[in-house]
Amino acid sequence: MKTISIDPITRLEGHGKIEIFLNDQGNVENAYFQVPELRGFEVFCLGRPVEILPRIVPRICGV
Amino acid sequence: MGKLKFAIYWGAACGGCDVAVVDTHEKLLDIAAAADILFWPVALDFKYRDVEEMADKSIDVCLFSGAVRNSENEHIAKLLRQKSKVMVALGACAQLGGIPGLANEKRRQDILDFVYHGSPSTASQKGVYPQEITSVPEGKLKLPKFYDAVMTLDQVVEVDYYLPGCPPESARILEVVQAIVTGNLPPKGAVVGALDKALCDSCPRKREEKKVKVFYRPQEILFDPERCFLEQGLICLGPATRGGCSDPPRCIRSNMPCEGCYGPPPDVTDQGAKMLSAVSSIIDSQDPGQIEKIIDGIVDPLGTFYRFGLPASALRKKRFP
Amino acid sequence: MDNFEPKIIGFYCNWSSQMGIDSAGVEGASYPPNLRLIRVMCSGSVDPEVIIEAFKKGADGVVILGCHLGNCHYRNGNYNALRRYRLLQKTLEQFGLEKERLRLEWVSVAEGKRFAGLVGEITEELRRLGPLRQFS
Repeated sequence: MKTISIDPITRLEGHGKIEIFLNDQGNVENAYFQVPELRGFEVFCLGRPVEILPRIVPRICGV
Repeated sequence: MGKLKFAIYWGAACGGCDVAVVDTHEKLLDIAAAADILFWPVALDFKYRDVEEMADKSIDVCLFSGAVRNSENEHIAKLLRQKSKVMVALGACAQLGGIPGLANEKRRQDILDFVYHGSPSTASQKGVYPQEITSVPEGKLKLPKFYDAVMTLDQVVEVDYYLPGCPPESARILEVVQAIVTGNLPPKGAVVGALDKALCDSCPRKREEKKVKVFYRPQEILFDPERCFLEQGLICLGPATRGGCSDPPRCIRSNMPCEGCYGPPPDVTDQGAKMLSAVSSIIDSQDPGQIEKIIDGIVDPLGTFYRFGLPASALRKKRFP
Repeated sequence: MDNFEPKIIGFYCNWSSQMGIDSAGVEGASYPPNLRLIRVMCSGSVDPEVIIEAFKKGADGVVILGCHLGNCHYRNGNYNALRRYRLLQKTLEQFGLEKERLRLEWVSVAEGKRFAGLVGEITEELRRLGPLRQFS
């Protein structure tokens, strides 16, 4: 089975890739979108003083 | 001389550094006139394969923003190092670990558990976690390995220059790019686009006497916009932060204390230790009980003193039993 | 873990605590060899960067020894030490270092025996806590 990899996905914020699997006729059998990125803001913001958060969370996305 | 060849990449980043590059506005055209950009995921459609196919050292300058959080970040950092003559750590994440580096206070497994299972906004089947290799009917899908700790760029590859900031000021990026274009580079390993002095040296605020009996949180008082933050009992990382972001410093100008994104000044190995030393020396008390009480007013020392530099600090990561 | 011998770095001031340690020797008081002593002019001159560096380089515990409050040779150096120590200890706890790993103690010339006992107590405490896990 032939594969087309779009790695990385460009011109957007963040990391992503797409794997497209083609069947014998050259048609798309299936396609998968993957996000190979995790930083964990959800966790390291927990327990932080509230006044610090407005200075941390803008760094989730700066675009 | 032919056009210089640039690559701009992000590891574990927010894209703010890339935007700071774009924020050079029409000067970006000057950069484009002097340099060809061969790889820049946020703006141009080149793939990893295109980089792999380049000859070694065929990129003149790589601006790498973002920390090293997973095996993909490390792999691409090593790939770009191999292909680039000059590697620049762009921004606080690449230089110090940055905000994503705060994850070094947490366990790897706790992060995965909360994000993919525990968080109230996550609708995931119990026990489903991202796998490095997933078998699907059509073949195999791969994801990078999520590391135990966040690393700085120079913890995985050799770095030639550091351009600090979260994000670096656009004007400073432009100065550095111009220095590169004109071949006017400082010695290897230098911090560029910043001063060799602490931020306090370029702070326009009035300084009288640093004696503090209470540390305030910014929401607790109305502070004097003309006077030194530390003297008013607000933690400002100026004494332990490299100056030169802008003149006068932008945060200070906006009546917010410095949070330390430009990293430690020269000769300081651990920015947080330096800052906590500065803070404790202004406490105006000789009574152990009162000292205790004053220090209790600093609610999150690690998140305050090491906000941008946890992975670059001497201890790097929290120890778990 | 049974035969774990903690490594302890001790910074002691040139004045009271120096004489206190000396009098431990004169009095023939013995203490565990786990403590490696480094003399500084004043407990207030021990920078947090140096303490953190000691932990980074493999110390399981650090103890700072100075003159009793009010008796500092430089008048208020030990108050500086106290303020820094409390804030550093609080920060180190967030790094996962138990607060027992960093100690600040006042030792006078008359406290040779107390000093020797203190080293024994700190060594036992660290033995119980086990080695400081190094991050590689």
